[in-house]
Amino acid sequence: MVLYNFKTIQVVPTAKDFIDIVLSKTQRQTPTVVHNGWAINRIRQFYMRKVKFTQSNWHEKLSKILDDFPKVDDMHPFFGDLLNVLYDRDHYKLALGQLHTARNLIDKVSQDYVRLMKYGDSLYRCKELKRAALGRMCTIMKKQGPSLAYLEQVRQHMSRLPAIEPNTRTLLVCGYPNVGKSSFMNKVTRADVDVQPYAFTTKSLFVGHMDYRYLRWQVIDTPGILDRPLEERNTIEMQSITALAHLRAAVLYVMDISEQCGHTLAEQAALFHSIKPLFANKPLLIVANKTDVTQVDSLSAEDKAILDEMVSEAAKMSGVAPTDAKLLMMSTLTEEGVMAVKQVACDRLLASRVEAKLQGKRIQDVAYRMHVATPAPRDRQARPPVIPPSVAAARARAMQAAEQAKKKTEKDMQEENGGAGVYSADMRKRYALQDPSWRYDIMPEIIEGHNVLDFVDPDIEARLEALDREEEAMAAAAELEGDDMDEDDLTPEQRELLKKIRARKTIVVAAHRRKKSAANNAPIKPRRVDADRTSTTQHMKASLARVGVDASAAIERARARSVSRVGRKRLRSASAAAPADMDVDGSQAPPQKRIHSSKSRSMSRGRALSTAKPIEGQGLKNEAQHNKAIKMHDKMQKRMGKAARKGEADRHIPDLKPKHLFSGKRGIGKTDRR
Amino acid sequence: MATRLQFENNNEVGVFAKLTSAYALVALGGSENFYSVFETELSEHIPVVKTSVAGTRLVGRITVGNKNGLLLPNTTTDQELMHIRNSLPDEVVVQRIDERLNSLGNCIACNDYVALVHPDIDKETEELVADVLGVEVFRQSIAGNTLVGSYCTFTNQGGLVAPNVSVEDLDELSSLLQVPLVAGTVNRGSDVVGAGLVANDWAAFCGWDTTATELSVIESVFKLRDSKPSNIVNEMRASLIDTLA
Repeated sequence: MVLYNFKTIQVVPTAKDFIDIVLSKTQRQTPTVVHNGWAINRIRQFYMRKVKFTQSNWHEKLSKILDDFPKVDDMHPFFGDLLNVLYDRDHYKLALGQLHTARNLIDKVSQDYVRLMKYGDSLYRCKELKRAALGRMCTIMKKQGPSLAYLEQVRQHMSRLPAIEPNTRTLLVCGYPNVGKSSFMNKVTRADVDVQPYAFTTKSLFVGHMDYRYLRWQVIDTPGILDRPLEERNTIEMQSITALAHLRAAVLYVMDISEQCGHTLAEQAALFHSIKPLFANKPLLIVANKTDVTQVDSLSAEDKAILDEMVSEAAKMSGVAPTDAKLLMMSTLTEEGVMAVKQVACDRLLASRVEAKLQGKRIQDVAYRMHVATPAPRDRQARPPVIPPSVAAARARAMQAAEQAKKKTEKDMQEENGGAGVYSADMRKRYALQDPSWRYDIMPEIIEGHNVLDFVDPDIEARLEALDREEEAMAAAAELEGDDMDEDDLTPEQRELLKKIRARKTIVVAAHRRKKSAANNAPIKPRRVDADRTSTTQHMKASLARVGVDASAAIERARARSVSRVGRKRLRSASAAAPADMDVDGSQAPPQKRIHSSKSRSMSRGRALSTAKPIEGQGLKNEAQHNKAIKMHDKMQKRMGKAARKGEADRHIPDLKPKHLFSGKRGIGKTDRR
Repeated sequence: MATRLQFENNNEVGVFAKLTSAYALVALGGSENFYSVFETELSEHIPVVKTSVAGTRLVGRITVGNKNGLLLPNTTTDQELMHIRNSLPDEVVVQRIDERLNSLGNCIACNDYVALVHPDIDKETEELVADVLGVEVFRQSIAGNTLVGSYCTFTNQGGLVAPNVSVEDLDELSSLLQVPLVAGTVNRGSDVVGAGLVANDWAAFCGWDTTATELSVIESVFKLRDSKPSNIVNEMRASLIDTLA
């Protein structure tokens, strides 16, 4: 979370640009045409609008600048002081204050001139008043030139400040110039700070981040500090001092024990003692750098004494037992001891932060997060984890051969075959089927309008097998007992008949069994779609023939009554009509019924009534009712027909603007053309 | 071993995947990136099945299962059911159930032995859960949240519960489930633990936003990579206090 984001401040234009921006906006966005003949009120209105518009633009733009720049007093003291060091707090406040005043002045000018405008008695006077008003506004802003230029510079510098979070876990690296602070930073974080063999390479604060103990740590590299009174310090050093003074961080005081930096150990110790007050209440560590050049053991007795004194002082200040106090040694060149320094510093800071937090109130709210609920056993049932043995094996393998070739994943295949969106993954290749060759079998979903899976019987294989076995058993049994009747004394016809009977019997039994076995699973299909149960004449003929009845007469009767026949057109000649009906099987067909009741009526006369039959489910009782409904519908439709509408919903207007109604006329009462 | 991943820029991996000790279901995505993370970690040991359920990609939220079985909502299509049956081993019973609260993953949380179910779930469903998944079933809510599947994730080794639960509730739940439990978050403070995390006895997957602290809590409580729940109280305590308080 970024608390202080200075990168979003908008650009502050120079005074000249600012004036151009605002005036051109007024020119673009207010009306530009005014006539001498207008009513004076309208002219006044015209110019007042321009003045007010300009004023509101200035107001808006200046307010935006004032809001964007952070208020020194509202910021974290670290940033407040940093701002003071870098840009001079007074100057900063003054610049913003002047803009604020300018804004008020512009508002005032606008108010005055709008008031004056009310007394403008001609276009010329009003125009002059407007000119004066805008001119005064621009003069006010022209005077703000230096403030605006200064603020723009501040904005540019601020947007490049490192994103330091004042309240997070922070390691602060400080010390004399050129002792290896930036080198340490480069070793523990991925920040790439410039390291050069001369003093004041680092001229401002730098931030790097690292991870330790599941947490994100901020490391701040400060410019070197020289040992001199505070008043004499330059801006670069003051940044370090600001950071030391205001950030609650673990401070690493880095010392160069090889004295290659050009400052003796005594000088470095003197600096430590002079800025000691800044280290109060912070975990403080003394770090001896450049051990690759000089070992601590090889130092003179005085130098060792100096170091020991600093270490004990540091321990005292950060409230650590003198026995735990220790001089940390590292070499940023060989990286020896760097990680140890980091760990000690982080642990020390974390411990102090935790201690502080345990005192606070918020710890009560999160204490439960540190609680691991362990189950009290409620029965003797074992609930072991289920981990396939292959997992342990795989782990062992992975341990052994970490460098082993990477497994080819679907993602790799996707990349090879045209990338995401193009590659179509094979969904079936891992199907766990009995026979892997079944994987790509085509599985129909719908056949003849039926969902195949509705008809699938998972036990069908087993049942078929059982049926086969049963049949075999029966056949065997029949063979055994079939001989109790003597077939020898049968005539060939009888034998033929017997054979037929037996064949028929097996078919009947098999059909019955099938029906019975599928009793619960067979869907009940409507007769219409069930090929076995449709009521066709063929069916009737066949089924009646099977039981030995000649069905031709019955079929004839049924056909005569069928709907299609009743509605059939009368044939032109009696002779043509007769044979078609007669030659079914040569027998005398019953005379056809007449369609109309009265013989005297001509058959060629058009039908008066629709003979449509009531359709089931329409809620009409009989034919008469149905015909009445048709009549009512026709009557209703008549009205629509007159209006040439298709139905009630037809709201079509053929021509929205008929030419004759709209040509030659003007909107505001003038009938002549221009 | 806990892995961080995203499904098409979305951190709620528990919505798009279902992980058990015997199989994993993964949603169909625009690319194979999400699937391949599961594939690398798991496909050696268990089938990883790419599927849609009821035509949606929310496989983790509308299904529930463990090593014994898998329950699918009644909106699952025949083709999906067939695809899943074909892909899973025969020991896993796949069943479609008629339940009014058909987002089964949100309403039911289970491991291989115990299940927590939404208090309003049907009696028949409860019996089916017990039979098909072979678990003891408890009607329970977690700190007032009836969507037990959304607010907790547990395996046979341990579990993570949404953070608004009291210590007493946590202890009670723990002895009900017979696994160690911890209150925690995923995805940088998200309390819908079930949506942000899927886990089984040896692997866990959580959203890309999960912080290092959250990840280490997850690894400890699920006993992944040789860490154990007591780590949370011992080694990680300082880090936890510093991040939370």
